[in-house]
Amino acid sequence: MAKHPIYGLMAEFDNTHDLVAAAHRVREEGYRQIDAYTPFPVEGLEETVGFRLPLLPIITFIGGLTGCIGGFILQYWPNVIGYPLDIGGKPYDSWPSFIPITFELTILGAALFCVFGMFFLCGLPMPYHPVFNVPRFKLASHDRFFLCIKSKDPKFSLDETKRFLEGLNAREVSIVPV
Amino acid sequence: MNSDQSFMLEQTGNAQRKALGVGVVCLALCVIELVIHPTQFLRSYLFGEVFWLGIGLSCMGILMLHHLVSGRWGFVLRRPLEAAAKTLCWMAIFFIPIIVGMHHLYIWSRPADVAADPVIQQKTFYLNTPFFIARQIVYWVLWILLAYFLNRWSTRQDGGSDPESQRRLRNLSGPGLVIYGFTVTFAGFDWVMSLEPHFFSTIYGMMFTVTEAVGGMAFITIVAYLLSQQEPMSEVIQPSQFHDFGNLLLVFTLLWAYLSFSQYLIIWSGNLQNEIPWYVSRTNRQWAWVALALVIFHFAVPFLLLLQRFITFRKQYLVGVASLLFIMSIFDLFWLMAPAYNPKGPQFHWSDWVALVGLGGIFVAIFVSQLKTKPLVPLHDPTFAGVLQHE
Amino acid sequence: MDPVDPVTEEKPAFVEPGSPWIAPGHSYGSVSDRIAGVVLGRTRKGWIFGFAIAFFLFLVLNYGITMLFFVGVGKFGINIPVAWAFAITNFVWWIGIGHAGTLISAFLLLMRQKWRTSINRFAEAMTIFAVACAGMFPLIHMGRPWLFYWLFPYPDTMGVWPQFRSPLVWDVFAVSTYFTVSLLFWYVGLVPDLATLRDKAKNKLAKVAYGFFSMGWRGSVKHWRRHEVASLLLAGIATPLVVSVHTVVSFDFTIAIVPGWHSTIFPPYFVAGAIYSGFAMVIMLAIPLRKWFHLEDFITIRHLNNMGKLLLATGMIVTYSYVMEAFMAFYSADKFESYMMLNRMTGPYAIVFWTLIACNIAIPMTFLWSYRIRTNTVALFLIAGVAQVGMWLERFVIIVTSLHRDFVPSSWGQFYPTPTDWEVLFGSLGLFFCLFYLFARLLPSISIFEMRDLVHKTAEEAGVIAGAAE
Repeated sequence: MAKHPIYGLMAEFDNTHDLVAAAHRVREEGYRQIDAYTPFPVEGLEETVGFRLPLLPIITFIGGLTGCIGGFILQYWPNVIGYPLDIGGKPYDSWPSFIPITFELTILGAALFCVFGMFFLCGLPMPYHPVFNVPRFKLASHDRFFLCIKSKDPKFSLDETKRFLEGLNAREVSIVPV
Repeated sequence: MNSDQSFMLEQTGNAQRKALGVGVVCLALCVIELVIHPTQFLRSYLFGEVFWLGIGLSCMGILMLHHLVSGRWGFVLRRPLEAAAKTLCWMAIFFIPIIVGMHHLYIWSRPADVAADPVIQQKTFYLNTPFFIARQIVYWVLWILLAYFLNRWSTRQDGGSDPESQRRLRNLSGPGLVIYGFTVTFAGFDWVMSLEPHFFSTIYGMMFTVTEAVGGMAFITIVAYLLSQQEPMSEVIQPSQFHDFGNLLLVFTLLWAYLSFSQYLIIWSGNLQNEIPWYVSRTNRQWAWVALALVIFHFAVPFLLLLQRFITFRKQYLVGVASLLFIMSIFDLFWLMAPAYNPKGPQFHWSDWVALVGLGGIFVAIFVSQLKTKPLVPLHDPTFAGVLQHE
Repeated sequence: MDPVDPVTEEKPAFVEPGSPWIAPGHSYGSVSDRIAGVVLGRTRKGWIFGFAIAFFLFLVLNYGITMLFFVGVGKFGINIPVAWAFAITNFVWWIGIGHAGTLISAFLLLMRQKWRTSINRFAEAMTIFAVACAGMFPLIHMGRPWLFYWLFPYPDTMGVWPQFRSPLVWDVFAVSTYFTVSLLFWYVGLVPDLATLRDKAKNKLAKVAYGFFSMGWRGSVKHWRRHEVASLLLAGIATPLVVSVHTVVSFDFTIAIVPGWHSTIFPPYFVAGAIYSGFAMVIMLAIPLRKWFHLEDFITIRHLNNMGKLLLATGMIVTYSYVMEAFMAFYSADKFESYMMLNRMTGPYAIVFWTLIACNIAIPMTFLWSYRIRTNTVALFLIAGVAQVGMWLERFVIIVTSLHRDFVPSSWGQFYPTPTDWEVLFGSLGLFFCLFYLFARLLPSISIFEMRDLVHKTAEEAGVIAGAAE
């Protein structure tokens, strides 16, 4: 970090087309430590920032499975092993009556894992992040599109990268302080 | 734009004639059973007829649903669905033996049995022969009218002479679905539920309709697969559409499981003497294996498979799942009907399967002949042009 | 450097005339400003007035509940044989209202229906507030509400567990899961919008509050991708959940063997009824909301038309269920079943039954077929209101008429509501609208980022801008 007291360089675009085209150019040029910030999900950017297979469905599935098995045991154990009681002549193992709760807990497990897994993978909550130091970054949640090349990229060099970004139809290129 | 001619079904590989041949031969074989054991013949015949009618009826329901919500999935399915609905006009003729032989099938239509059963005596306001026949006539008139107009206005649209067709089809489909829901429900009570006249369940009609819909959607998926094997449909039906068919199959399968489980849990918990015998025979002894097979192969396996995108986007895999569901929906209907006669366990009468195949042959022959009458896609539907371009 | 691409003269997206789900002339910025402006602008007099009325009703609720806790459940008009009445009617009614919200946000997302974009946020909020109102009732109608935690499975010193075969315990799980999942789903959708508000807020407190809850959302590609996947997964999870919740509610009745309760069609019938009343509530909220906050550009007449159609479809399923119930009551050849139905139609509560038929079937199912009625805001609002009343009466009829005359004539009885019953019913409306007023004031009632996305997609389809992906 001492070598680069800045986080990276941020280019601003006013439409998705320029952003996507620029992102592809940046990728072709050999930069790998890049990220794009948009006011809504934009298609065609994932591969440029090196996004891998989403883990989320697997995490959700594990959550659902945990809820499902846990939910059934939660009912089976007390009714059959822990404290069996004859109620209304129903069998101890009344599996049809155990299905609703098993189902609800499957859903609950899947949803909790899904949401908290998503926040965890996104690294949220994150109270401080260098990109917020760019004054115009406010517009990333309004109507502007930003592309950032991070200083830790081996190809990063302040002047050259800046010149390169400026040539990509960017409205403005600014330095992101750490 | 492609011309109408290029979308006509031509290479059917004699499917129509072969199906007709199989149908006639099998039904002729069934005549043997009719002579030896008329009751068994009628039971087998009812099973086959109800199954294939279910395919035609549910296709008509899906067709009207498509007219109402007009999803992209429906455009390539529309002509097969119309053809399947049109089979109803002919299958009506094959319903006559059931009316003629209803005394062999239904206990409540035999005065001697009714006299011995005080419960059925209280149901005679609904379960009596004249009213039964009158109801059948009403159902058939309504179904044939629906099938006729759904086809006719669609044909007019092809001629391009009637710009109003689309609006008309939509306006017919709303009330049409209401009529469909009520008639199929009561037909389910009449044909199947009243085989055990003591049993009653308010969810039964909905369950019966969805049971049919699983079979119908599986059938139409298989048809779409076969059509997509050759020109010109191979260019029109895209993997994304098979994905949509897969989702519809998933929805119907889930709905089937939901309704069936709801009924089971409620009757199991209530454990009342007029309801529970229905499940006692169906979930005990040998029938329990059929029930278990239904849970696994009519729900669990297709459910897990249809969630996988690598299956729903590949037609050769999807058609496998659809075939499984199609076969299981036959067993589902068998499980609904046959325990009424054989509460101790399934007995496999050869005529059950021969009648099913025989009526199936007739059904397929009519279906193919109807499919040949129009281009395979509704080219003149104003919204269809957009669908083709999007691909 | 060579030019990046031949199409360099890209315009920012805007909406051209003729697009179906949003008014023309809008751009990313204009939708953001318009929706966020409602939240960040000044408090309007109308809002204060409305909130005051809702808050008054909320105080009525507090009064009713305080008296109830102080004196006991005898403050309600319930007694044997009618031990369930208004409280459970309100519970089922409120939770049913919640269902439409989840369905709009989850099921319509799975169906890729674009028209959900502008209504899903407030419909989800409606869900959460309705479930909050609903969850209150089973607790307050207990004899000893302070022991409510006995319903949860925790290892207590005597080793006793809740009765897992009882649908009332299923309810605890279903409703708490439903509330949790709805809240999570809603919050996940809100995070990007909270970030927008954080960036737009001038007020220091608002900046900190929105900043805190947006958790540092930056809208990076990875954030969006995971957000999208999570939304789809949650939608896939929430759709069966919403069906299961009202199914479990229907099990509260069907698992018993009381005639009029033990009916197998209840699960799908309750789900359809829930969606029916829920859509009625969405319509009743959408029409004033678009008018007062000038959101006609986003909640268009076509939205109202579609919601009217959904009202019609679910109403038809409810009608079908009534027919099945009535038919089977007589077909069953069970004297208790047929007497129950006869008693509903001609007994002491016949007037309630026939009002319900008028409100739920006769009026809506006649008029909603007409396009002109569905697109007339006043007519649609009134019909939705009528259906809403009808759905409350439906639950009342199911609960009270089934209980008041069951098997043994010597234990027949009658139910008369007390002032506390009414206080709690109207008070719960106060709680709901208080929460809803606060929501409309503090959070964006329409999903801003999804509207920007809709502007983008609409412009893309109209050819105003080229497709993003090459």
